[in-house]
Amino acid sequence: MHTGRATARIVAVSTGKTARFLSRGLKRGGGTTLPGFLAERIDPGLVADLARGIPNGCVLVTGTNGKTTTTRILVDALSGAGLEVITNPEGSNLTRGIATALLVHANWRKGLDVPPSAIGVFEVDEGAFRPAVDALQPRLVVITNLFRDQLDRYFEVDFVAHLWSRALGQLPASSTVVLNADDPQVAYLGEDLTAKVLYFGLDDRRRARPGREHAADSRRCPRCGSDLFHELSYYAHLGHYSCKQCGWRRPDPRFAAWKVDVLGLEGSRSQVRTPAGDRTLEVPLAGLYNAYNALAASAAAACLGVEPDLVQAAVRGAVGAFGRLEQIRLGDKQACVILVKNPSGFNEGLRLVLSMDGPKRLLVALNDNGPDGRDVSWIWDVDFEMCKGRADLIAVTGRRARDLALRLKYAELLASDGEPGAGRPPVPLLVEEDVVRAFWSVLEQTPPGETLYVLTTYTAMWTLRQDMVRRGYLVPFWRQSQTEGSVAG
Amino acid sequence: MRLVIGYLYPSVMSQYGDRGNVLTVVQRCQWRGIEAEVDELEMGDRVDADRVDLILVGGGADAHQRLVCKDLLEVKGEGIRRAIDEGVAAFAVCAGYQLWGHYYRTARKEELPGLGVFDAHTVHRAAQTGTPLDTITRAGNVRAVGNLVVRWGEHLLVGFENHGGRTYLHDGSQPLGRALAGGGNNSEDGWEGCVYKNAIGTYLHGPALPKNPRLADHLILTALRRRYGDVQLVPLDDAPEIAAHDRAAEQALARTSLWRRLWGQGVA
Repeated sequence: MHTGRATARIVAVSTGKTARFLSRGLKRGGGTTLPGFLAERIDPGLVADLARGIPNGCVLVTGTNGKTTTTRILVDALSGAGLEVITNPEGSNLTRGIATALLVHANWRKGLDVPPSAIGVFEVDEGAFRPAVDALQPRLVVITNLFRDQLDRYFEVDFVAHLWSRALGQLPASSTVVLNADDPQVAYLGEDLTAKVLYFGLDDRRRARPGREHAADSRRCPRCGSDLFHELSYYAHLGHYSCKQCGWRRPDPRFAAWKVDVLGLEGSRSQVRTPAGDRTLEVPLAGLYNAYNALAASAAAACLGVEPDLVQAAVRGAVGAFGRLEQIRLGDKQACVILVKNPSGFNEGLRLVLSMDGPKRLLVALNDNGPDGRDVSWIWDVDFEMCKGRADLIAVTGRRARDLALRLKYAELLASDGEPGAGRPPVPLLVEEDVVRAFWSVLEQTPPGETLYVLTTYTAMWTLRQDMVRRGYLVPFWRQSQTEGSVAG
Repeated sequence: MRLVIGYLYPSVMSQYGDRGNVLTVVQRCQWRGIEAEVDELEMGDRVDADRVDLILVGGGADAHQRLVCKDLLEVKGEGIRRAIDEGVAAFAVCAGYQLWGHYYRTARKEELPGLGVFDAHTVHRAAQTGTPLDTITRAGNVRAVGNLVVRWGEHLLVGFENHGGRTYLHDGSQPLGRALAGGGNNSEDGWEGCVYKNAIGTYLHGPALPKNPRLADHLILTALRRRYGDVQLVPLDDAPEIAAHDRAAEQALARTSLWRRLWGQGVA
């Protein structure tokens, strides 16, 4: 290493470490991205050099929905197998977040201070996937799904698929790519790769609907562009499909959940066919999408040689990432927080809430800050119509609360006097831009013993969360992640 | 009374909540006791100029435009051109707007021929500058992405734009209005959209019609008047629409310079 670069490395590492220390000490947040950001600016080759020092290589998890949960299960499985896992559990998934995770272990000279059992498992943002692959040269990649999400950041679903395809094309034969067979554009990424490909998917017709729903983003054959025929769909465009024009069809998954029992908020139980025999996955997280996440994580863990028992234990012990169906006790009431980012996730969240027992009180929060997506037009692709006659109260909040109110009006959920229609007791719709005020005011109206369901975009969830931490209902997430194992092992 | 909406390519060109425009027209008709019918015109379906009263087309990626452009010209072209010339109302958004001009040169520099309803053409910014679109950052640099506020007569239209194409109106072609916030047609001349007879082309997503009820009613009214003569629309309670419109405009304009706002008023 040149003296100049060596100096840059030392300055980068020490600046990063100092920033992390200060940021936590001053309670300015978890210090999960700023340290890496600063260090990367000073020394751009830092991530690649540090990653090379991880004895068991790196795993990357990307996709529109489910990357945090999938990463967490995989991390737990690997930790259970005795590996020391370096990860970015706080959901800081740009390369600067990965840099921060690595900086924790960086020393001044050689790179990383890690034991021979260390492995890196990182969740990475869709848009940052390509630079992350370049820098980390992962031995395994997991792609959960591809939905329309934040078009102001990613522009076009096809463009994201194109960037992923370019990144995967560089991987050598020694790498493995774990792909969702039920998502056409993701499955198609597995064609013509040098790297090995392993598919996972659902094979349980009882969980499917015939045809395709509106929020489907992949309606075209990725190979020839003709209309894709969906024989059945699990949700959005995930399903069994084939192209009548060119004959391209869904690849047969080697990890196939052939019997999936959905157990409401309790989660789901899947019987999974694997190359090593049948396994049962008991997923304590609700929703079909979490059955997918568990399946993806267990396929990846199996690829890395983790014993089936340990994988099953990791799935059983899965805890939702923050805001992913997080249940928070607030005195004698409960709040269930569901992060929503795009039409497909929103529809699944609504379906789940509506399938619950008891009254459904909903608070929907929509912000248009950078991490939420500045374009709020996607709420028109959410099927709020399904709430007709089934929701007891819908309150809207956030910077674009009024856009939500308008969407609900056109879904005919409100009578013209601002009350929810369809024969329910009239409860006035609450429009309050201030997220914290809206939350406590709706919670006050929630009777003891009942649950308030909060469907929220990213930054609104943050605001709410900080308020709950301030009031002592939650611990700050960086402390949570320390106990859960930012360096698990 | 009955209004027939011809909704072009719902399965291909519907990326940005475009179905909200259809829903808005249908609801605003039905709330007034006007029957509304939607003809979903996919690839292979012709446009019957005698049947449709209002044509709607939404946004899509370059790939989607490539996919529909032949069908638009060869299957639907004749019907659409005749309909527009006879005064049928139309609302074409983003990719739809681009393909209703003379041509669209994509990021890959291929030229997709358009309908020529609007006397305009569109060139992708990446094709102008030769920027390779190999990273999110580079792709972002050539796009106009953000809130878009347009002065339309005495009203403001609000929405969101997200496009790489730059549209240039030819001499004598009439724009929809001035862009007070956002890039509009080409981020150069300050104009946004294009109007030809009762057809409007625009980059306003959002979707545009729910938050701009005046524009929605304008389209409904021109569509109905062609068939039923002197129609009047019963006013609706638009309080939620106006609240959403005003708040979005306020937030978008808060980041715009005073000079630009004055220019939009025709003062500077």
